[in-house]
Amino acid sequence: MTGNRPIKFRILELCNKNGGAWNYEIVRQIQKEYNLKGDFQRDSINFDLIELASGGLLKDVDAKVDEEGIYKKGFLLHKYVITDFGKTRAADACLMYV
Amino acid sequence: MDLQSLKKQEHQRRIRKGFMWALFCAILWGLWYIPGTVVWVLNPFDEMYGEIAATNGDAISLVITAVLITAFNALTVILALMVWNGALGKFGEMKRTLKEFKPCSKWFFMASIFGGPMAILGSFIAMGFVGGAFAAVAALAYPVVGSILASQWYGEKISKRAFMGIGFIILGGITIFGGGLLTELGTGNVAWIGYIGGLMAAVGWGIEGAIAGKGLDIAEPDVGLTLRFLGENIIWWIIAVPLLAIAGFPMIKYALLVFEPLTLLVLVFAGITFGFCYVTWYKSFPLIGVGRGQGIGNLYGLFAVVFIALFFGDIPSWTILVGGALCLIGSSVMFSEDTGQMESLRGE
Repeated sequence: MTGNRPIKFRILELCNKNGGAWNYEIVRQIQKEYNLKGDFQRDSINFDLIELASGGLLKDVDAKVDEEGIYKKGFLLHKYVITDFGKTRAADACLMYV
Repeated sequence: MDLQSLKKQEHQRRIRKGFMWALFCAILWGLWYIPGTVVWVLNPFDEMYGEIAATNGDAISLVITAVLITAFNALTVILALMVWNGALGKFGEMKRTLKEFKPCSKWFFMASIFGGPMAILGSFIAMGFVGGAFAAVAALAYPVVGSILASQWYGEKISKRAFMGIGFIILGGITIFGGGLLTELGTGNVAWIGYIGGLMAAVGWGIEGAIAGKGLDIAEPDVGLTLRFLGENIIWWIIAVPLLAIAGFPMIKYALLVFEPLTLLVLVFAGITFGFCYVTWYKSFPLIGVGRGQGIGNLYGLFAVVFIALFFGDIPSWTILVGGALCLIGSSVMFSEDTGQMESLRGE
């Protein structure tokens, strides 16, 4: 399946669930849906997450060090959840309710 | 290393990256003044200016020639951006973003109206009617407009310290161009339209940044920027140039005469420097905010003077040293800000 909406829209949807989602889960999901292979694309999607958090649309609710190399060994893993501001912005863009 | 210090380190890396992008923007923007200055004396633009000036006067000729130069600038910028997006594999994302007009790409098309016909053309008008130094100084006010809009419109946090840094950089810019500015303003026959041009540049770039910031919430910077230049190309090549041609100006004739090796080379240089200056400008906004990105981007004033001195051999006067020092103080004030509060750039 190939995603047909901008990647940041999809990320906001994926983070819109109770408890949020880990960055490696989101990145993996997006890579699969949009058929984006390779480490460069992986990091690029993760950077979209960083930008969304920096813009206040997502916030991280949990973090842990990647001991096993799920994403990148030694790096910080973040669990993101959509903020109220993110929900408002997403309502104009991709989320059908709110 | 414990979790807290890793988090802190990661956060600092993000802010540093944002400031680096903004600094690259200033360097490339400054570098752009070389082809931006040279292109005016090259054919076909030189000949075009002469022909229109003979029948319509210098003022009109300058604005019309500026339109064609700006149109070619926009064209080479979008070519550079296509190569960039192709290399990054972002055409798919571009198509997806373009299709989402209402939530997404409308912001970039709006940004292109304020950035292109308002800011860039206004800057050329200010250059023509008052002078280059005045145009540069007038444009330096754009971060003030941009940061006030971003903070009022969508609550971007802009600290007193960041504002102070912007203030120093603007003062530095005014000092750098001080001598020229006084000469230009002292000539006594300054046309009011020149001031309007200066105002258009400052307000246009400020508004463009704030609008782009809104679009960049939910779009990729590289893609958003390319759509912004797509908008500008539509404005020049589908609306402005044909309208001026219908009005009787020799737009098509001179547009077709552009295929001279040196002119093309200079235009390509302009496209690369301006295109990537914009790439770095847009990439800095999501990381450090519109206000800071524009404030550091304002160092273009200093870099432009340095590059022009290096390439054209103009000996810089003492004002550059004083103005340069003020710019450096301003950027140090911004760089050294405690960024602990900047986890998110928006007020929660």
